[in-house]
Amino acid sequence: MSFLLRCPQCGPREVYEFRWGGEQSRRPEPDAAGEAWTRYLYLRRNEAASQREWWYHRAGCRRWFLAVRDTRSNEVARTFWPASPEEPTA
Amino acid sequence: MSRLPAHPGQRIDRSRPIAFTFDGRAYTGFAGDTVGSALYAAGVRVFSRSFKYHRPRGLLCVRGYCANCLVNVDGVPNVRACTEPVRTGQRVVAQHAWPSLEHDALAVVDKLGFLLPVGFYYKTFIHPRRLWPMYERMLRTCAGLGRITFPDEPEGEYERANLFADVAVVGGGAAGMAAALEAARAGARVTLVDDQPELGGRWRYRTRERHVGDVVRDLAAEIAGDDRIRVLGEATAFGLYEDGLLGVLERHRFGRLRAGRVVVAAGMLEHPLVFENNDLPGVMLGGAAQRLAGLFGIAPGRASVVVVADERGVEVALDLRAAGVVVTALVDAREGADSAAVASLRDGGTTILRGSTVLAARGSGRVERAVIGDLAGNAACEMSCDLICVTVGAAPATALVAQAGGTLRFGADGNVAADALPAGVLVAGEVAGVEGLDGIVASGQLAGAEAALALVGGDIRLSRRIDELRDELASRPKRTHAPCPGVAPGRSSKRFVCLCEDVTDKDMKQAVTEGFDHLETLKRYTTVTMGPCQGKMCHRLSIEVCADLTGRTVEETGTTTARPPAQPVPLGALAARSADPWKLTPTHHQHVEAGAELMDMGAWKRPLRYTSVDEECRAVRETVGIIDVSTLGKLEVVGRDAATFLDWLHPNRFSDLAVGRARYRIMCDDAGIVLDDGIVARLADDRFLVTTATGTIDAVDQWLEWWLAGGGRCAHVANVTGSLAAVNVAGPRSRELLAGLTDVDLAPAALPYLGARTGRVAGVPSILLRIGFVGELGFEIHCPADYGEFMWSALLAAGAPLGIRAFGVEAQRVLRLEKGHVIVSQDTDALTTPFAAGLGALVHLDKPDFIGRDALRAAQTRPLAERLVGFEMADSATPPGEGAAIVADGRPVGRVTSAKRSGWLGRVIGLAWVPTALARHGATVEVRMNGATAPARVVLQPFYDPDGARVRS
Repeated sequence: MSFLLRCPQCGPREVYEFRWGGEQSRRPEPDAAGEAWTRYLYLRRNEAASQREWWYHRAGCRRWFLAVRDTRSNEVARTFWPASPEEPTA
Repeated sequence: MSRLPAHPGQRIDRSRPIAFTFDGRAYTGFAGDTVGSALYAAGVRVFSRSFKYHRPRGLLCVRGYCANCLVNVDGVPNVRACTEPVRTGQRVVAQHAWPSLEHDALAVVDKLGFLLPVGFYYKTFIHPRRLWPMYERMLRTCAGLGRITFPDEPEGEYERANLFADVAVVGGGAAGMAAALEAARAGARVTLVDDQPELGGRWRYRTRERHVGDVVRDLAAEIAGDDRIRVLGEATAFGLYEDGLLGVLERHRFGRLRAGRVVVAAGMLEHPLVFENNDLPGVMLGGAAQRLAGLFGIAPGRASVVVVADERGVEVALDLRAAGVVVTALVDAREGADSAAVASLRDGGTTILRGSTVLAARGSGRVERAVIGDLAGNAACEMSCDLICVTVGAAPATALVAQAGGTLRFGADGNVAADALPAGVLVAGEVAGVEGLDGIVASGQLAGAEAALALVGGDIRLSRRIDELRDELASRPKRTHAPCPGVAPGRSSKRFVCLCEDVTDKDMKQAVTEGFDHLETLKRYTTVTMGPCQGKMCHRLSIEVCADLTGRTVEETGTTTARPPAQPVPLGALAARSADPWKLTPTHHQHVEAGAELMDMGAWKRPLRYTSVDEECRAVRETVGIIDVSTLGKLEVVGRDAATFLDWLHPNRFSDLAVGRARYRIMCDDAGIVLDDGIVARLADDRFLVTTATGTIDAVDQWLEWWLAGGGRCAHVANVTGSLAAVNVAGPRSRELLAGLTDVDLAPAALPYLGARTGRVAGVPSILLRIGFVGELGFEIHCPADYGEFMWSALLAAGAPLGIRAFGVEAQRVLRLEKGHVIVSQDTDALTTPFAAGLGALVHLDKPDFIGRDALRAAQTRPLAERLVGFEMADSATPPGEGAAIVADGRPVGRVTSAKRSGWLGRVIGLAWVPTALARHGATVEVRMNGATAPARVVLQPFYDPDGARVRS
């Protein structure tokens, strides 16, 4: 794994500068069924496709952002700040 | 032995002799020689013994690819003699041979080869199974090539470099140099990677066509004068990774070269021919003979048989003749009329054999005769010679392209189809299918210009230049694709496909018979292509043999997956010293001066102990001690929503925390697992100081930032770990000590347990927290890091009359264990909820939603399977190891997470996970220690001051 990632703040950087934060998933509403929590906490879609995922620019601006990355080729289509107030818990 | 007359392409400096030894004998080479060339010039023909059969092996590629000349140089194993420069006093030793290269005892294996079919050790040594350990030891002794001698100073051998370029060019031949110059001219910063000491590639040593050498030397001179081009010489680009990252090994520097565009111009790779005894010293690739003559001024032999399949091979024969080697016969696979070059050889007295190939080499330890026959395998004649030069085939060096997931596909125009190449990768020169110096230069220029255009954008002049170069290239000859067979007809058990691993075509045939008929399984079973040459000599041959054996075409047979490295890389290079930062607290040098024994804690160095742990503990219990806690993670959380944010993060509540108060915090994730603990102190309505464990600060910081990402909360997190020095003052006389140093009212009513104040301590603006981890009256002072040293000195000076002592991490761990305090992630693990860890009182399920609420609510109703409890050993004076098993009825049922000998209590105490049924005060458990069990008693309250009267005093 050696690709470049475009931090929305700092521009294209070595992937080693970042921490991967996992695929984006929506936190269940409070009092949701146990199954929904299980899915959120323990199950990953793990798709062989483009997915939205969290990245943290550890060696740079120290901010979290979202990236659309193809898990097969590591091609990153776009990166962006989490847009809406709900985004982090989404 | 004499050398050939001097020639401009030669690398050696005859005025500078260099003395070295090989297997104890003295040799002399010239500056510019390699170990291999100097030894060859001195008449050495056997350089190594082969991997499996211990057959003698000599120079084959003279290019640093094959494993035939692996030697030990000054203690470093597996060095390729043919590329290793000679140095004065160098000690070169043969490997894999005993007692000597010429007389190797294990060469008997060669005669017993029929006992050692492919896969023999899977089959032979598996029964009886219990003897395998013995077999394994025996095989290990025989297997492998070089022996590692571990240096006294393992570090410092290699360094690491991060390199950047707009355009990286791999290959310093004509194409590569032209590409580099063209790209630089267009404004790109270029790095040219070449594995030779000087640029020029194979053009450099053409002895007969002077103008070729001149053209190439001119290009090299132009590059030397161009400061936009950085040349990495004697550097191997061994891997091409995503987004233009090249792994480059440059002598003792391991480089990560990131480039906007990569031009692969690595030329062609010659491969050997499979025939009987094709590994005999004296069988050599055509290019190898050319290099010996052209670069080192060495006649590769006296009388040669040259085996060819195209005009490139005929060139080799002409070069040999020019180097004074008698070309006895030209064995040409082709039929038909003589070319001018062939005619010139014939005129010179060379026997021309058409439609022929070499069937076998004969000789004792080196080539003495060549058996020549027709392509059906009928022997026609034997010829005396000491050199069989094989130039039957070459393939473009595309390892890097293939690694990056690309392929070379040629279109109808003879050009490489760019769409099959990896993004950002271009090819040039012979890799791109171009032949002849002029075409190769044009191809390089085109690739350089295209690479630059992609980076600098649409410059009209550059676009026009590209059009011109395309036209120019179109008029140049392309390689015609008539792949020559790499396998001569014949049957013998000594026809080597893979010389590194001693795999013959007979072995491959047997493997296919056994069912390994797919190239990938065939490779794994026979280990063909898996040796040090990484398939450079044998990849194509193995495909050809596999195709032949399975009745498929070469295309149907396919190819194996290419993976880095393309060339062996020493593990030391991959482990090269990199940025390895460590952190020192503001008071670090005072600890060192005080004689502290240091320990690593994450990136920090912390005092483990100063003098005696017992004495340090006693000072804290009886008078006062101080400990440097600057390594604790410290966050400031500020903003209108800071309090509600902290409520969201924690199972307990902070919005009701009064200004000037602190509260213990534990933090859980949404699964209800304890992540971290510390203190939250409210310094103002909208300002909190949050402490974390030393090792978790980064994770906690990122966790908080993640929950803030996207906005929506007016709360901001600043990591102030490095900006604050922190000292914990603990002990019954700590108030007395501080009273003389601060204007803050320390009276119990004014600053009660868990109080937080700002004020001056020793004149330094500080945050003063009345907290402690060790069970005594205690204060934690946080002050600007710049004053850390001053604060530490001031405390020690003021405390001297009281008998103050600095205490280290070890004493702190004993003291906290006496209090039964939990260290998150030592005493807890990835399954620990607050309830099981005895921290259930901190969970407030009546709060609005917070991280982990639903999971904790569910956990609360579940009966606990095990609990974290204190224990004390009944009579053992030594503590069990962390992780020791708690045993019941002979079966492990729990585990020790912390255990120490407490000098104060005079016994061994600890924390352990035990089944709930055993989590009763006074229950007896057994702890496994050193193979036996020792009795212990469960203690469900702190060992020391169970009521907590002392911390509140």
